[in-house]
Amino acid sequence: MRRFAPWLLVCVLALVAGSLAEASWRRVRPSIPEIGRKDLEPTLGQGVLLGVLGGLRTVVADMAWIRSYVYWERRDRPGCEAFMRTSCALDPRARYFWENAALRVGLDMAHWEIRKRGGYNKVPAETQERLFRQYARKGLDVIEEGLQRAKGRTALLVAGGFLAEGKLKDLPLAANYYRQAADAEDAPWYAARFCADFDWNAGKKDEAYRWYRNYWLTRMRPRMDGSPDDLVRLREMEKELNLGLLERIPRQGWER
Amino acid sequence: MKASLRRMLWISRITFLEAVRQRFFAFLLVLSAAMVLSSVSFRVFDFGHGELKFIADFGFGGMFFFGSVLAVVMTAQLFFSEIDNRTALTLLAKPLSRAEFLLGKFCGAWAVLGVFVVVLAALQGTVLWAREQELLSLADPAAKLAPAFNLEGLLQLVLLQWLRLGVVISIVLAISALARTFLFAVVVGALAVVAGQLQWIAQDAFLRPTDSQLYAAFLWVSTRVIPNLQQFNLADALVLGSTGVDDGAILVVVLSGLAYLLAYLTLGSLIFRRREI
Amino acid sequence: MSSAISVRHLTKDFRIGIRGLKLRAVDDVSLEIPRGQVFGLLGPNGCGKSTTLKIVLGLVSATAGEISILGEPSATSSARRRTGFLPEAPYFHKFLSGRELVRYCAQLSGVADADVDAAVEDALGLAAMTEAADRTIGTYSKGMLQRIGFAQAVVHDPELVILDEPTAGVDPVGSAAIGRMIHAMREKGKTVVLCSHLLGQVEQVCDRVAIMDRGKLVLEGAVDDVLARRDRHVMTVEAMTPAARAAAEAALAAHGAKVASVTHPRRSLEDLFRELVTGSRDA
Repeated sequence: MRRFAPWLLVCVLALVAGSLAEASWRRVRPSIPEIGRKDLEPTLGQGVLLGVLGGLRTVVADMAWIRSYVYWERRDRPGCEAFMRTSCALDPRARYFWENAALRVGLDMAHWEIRKRGGYNKVPAETQERLFRQYARKGLDVIEEGLQRAKGRTALLVAGGFLAEGKLKDLPLAANYYRQAADAEDAPWYAARFCADFDWNAGKKDEAYRWYRNYWLTRMRPRMDGSPDDLVRLREMEKELNLGLLERIPRQGWER
Repeated sequence: MKASLRRMLWISRITFLEAVRQRFFAFLLVLSAAMVLSSVSFRVFDFGHGELKFIADFGFGGMFFFGSVLAVVMTAQLFFSEIDNRTALTLLAKPLSRAEFLLGKFCGAWAVLGVFVVVLAALQGTVLWAREQELLSLADPAAKLAPAFNLEGLLQLVLLQWLRLGVVISIVLAISALARTFLFAVVVGALAVVAGQLQWIAQDAFLRPTDSQLYAAFLWVSTRVIPNLQQFNLADALVLGSTGVDDGAILVVVLSGLAYLLAYLTLGSLIFRRREI
Repeated sequence: MSSAISVRHLTKDFRIGIRGLKLRAVDDVSLEIPRGQVFGLLGPNGCGKSTTLKIVLGLVSATAGEISILGEPSATSSARRRTGFLPEAPYFHKFLSGRELVRYCAQLSGVADADVDAAVEDALGLAAMTEAADRTIGTYSKGMLQRIGFAQAVVHDPELVILDEPTAGVDPVGSAAIGRMIHAMREKGKTVVLCSHLLGQVEQVCDRVAIMDRGKLVLEGAVDDVLARRDRHVMTVEAMTPAARAAAEAALAAHGAKVASVTHPRRSLEDLFRELVTGSRDA
């Protein structure tokens, strides 16, 4: 028995170490950005393993992004996508990768596809339109994934709104993205206006006005300049909706 | 006990002296230091990260990578130089146990890597602090930006990285005690480090429910045998405080690292005890 | 009083290759080395003498058999505390000075802190290395390396000193110096076990010798006993009677010559060594 005691000690120590590691991993896991393993498979062996192993994740993600430009210039969709995915997977908290990957997919790749099929003169307009929508949808999928994993959602929401409106032509969806962006603390000044306009243009005029009015009263009016341009637009909406005087935003002292 | 500690101390002292005189150590230290110092220049290749985050990742990445290389190659070299040059014959013919010899080697190699980590962390801290001050002075004073660089976090990271390298050294010593050649020890040691860095995949899988008892048993064993080295990579959270770390988590990580270290050192001693010199 | 080294039925098998083929390096060797003597262990390369020494020092485990050093099991650290060892072609950390190396070994051998300085100086003095003690080992000649190796082996004043090929590659002057060190150890009452190929030196310094061949002990005994050939008398003059001897001595004296002594013939240790081990080697 004495002969086996040291080996037993090793087993006990490994058991203790393993249990402690399990407990510690549960606690530190949220502090370590998750690596999207499946997304790395196409590019493994190109220095990516170094990033997967721990340190240098940011650096390897940057290098992968630079490499994706090579494929972008060649209009090589699979290569470009693989390296963009690698950057996103290695450093999922970096908003830049998600945003630009979505825009490349949503904006550029449809053009590559049209060019591949013979060019704008050869591909029928309805096919072109279908391709723009198809790739915009893919771009929005990237945005949605990025929203789950990246830090700094606002820019992603704005990019989502841009793709939904510009390429997918889905105004309610675009309005929804801009609404979320407008609600963020670091909302850009134009997000609320875009949200209201897209809802308005989609036919949801009442809803658009009410949301925009509430937003202006709570978040824009308290600002130093009172966002006069937005009030001008709200007045146009009130006029078009034929609202009574009491239903309108009270006249502001500084308003002309 | 006191005599045993004294013998280990002497072995570690000579091991330390031997290691710091190696060109390999100096080369990797200079290379890593150059990487840390040049990180500010390389930030032009950065996309979408905070500038400090990029600098930190670049520098700490060098510390992680070259530290691992040093821990694997230097430890195996220090062990096999004693065996191949037969200095181990002279030493082990004295009233020095195999465990004392191995622990002495461990302490010496760990001390060298302590110097490596502290020097690089000091450089990295200086670079981060200086760049942050520069950025803060350029920023709009009205924005009242809070400094992100956390010195206390840096000290915690130094401890964690040193401990991670300690676990690597203990694994390499256990492998060296079994290996017949230096090359075998280095290759298997490097594979063990890769496995340790990827162990979290098994750890994550183990934490999820599964129907297969066999698969669960396999995951249970692999998460106990292979240490999770990824849990020490908390540079982001600790030094720049981007996500923060759960209170007390560091303590559990340290305890887990120490337990692995002891387990592998005990295993190494047991294997080495049977080795014929 | 127990022997300095007692080896009983020692066998050592090495396993070779994946299939684990056995190679018997030491085959049922039994040996008693008395205290206070210089003992020579001889044999051709690969005969098992170094393996035997390594087993005695606990560096290699025995397949079978019992070994004790100074009455204690050989693998214990207390037995090793009373033993000094100089390996064949010793290699030491080149960046240390001779004094640092001997101090390092004194610390490992359990010399008390208060006694370390004196022990180091004594050992350096015994090895005639005091003058070169502050030079780094990397600058030492082969002979100096052996001498500093001797110093590290004896720094803790061991009762038993094991020297594996202490004069290999050393010039005759250095070799003579090591011979003097061995004599000095014997005068201090220490037991010295010596492995060497320099048979002339072994013959000079050893009290007893053992010869191994192919893992077996083929001869063991006092040097004088094993070298003397008592079964025959070699005479310079045949059929010598006292009268003939007297006549011969007178005849020689008439020519100005004198017979100093008439002794039994003695063959050289080298001849004995060759006779015992060459058959297979020289073929």
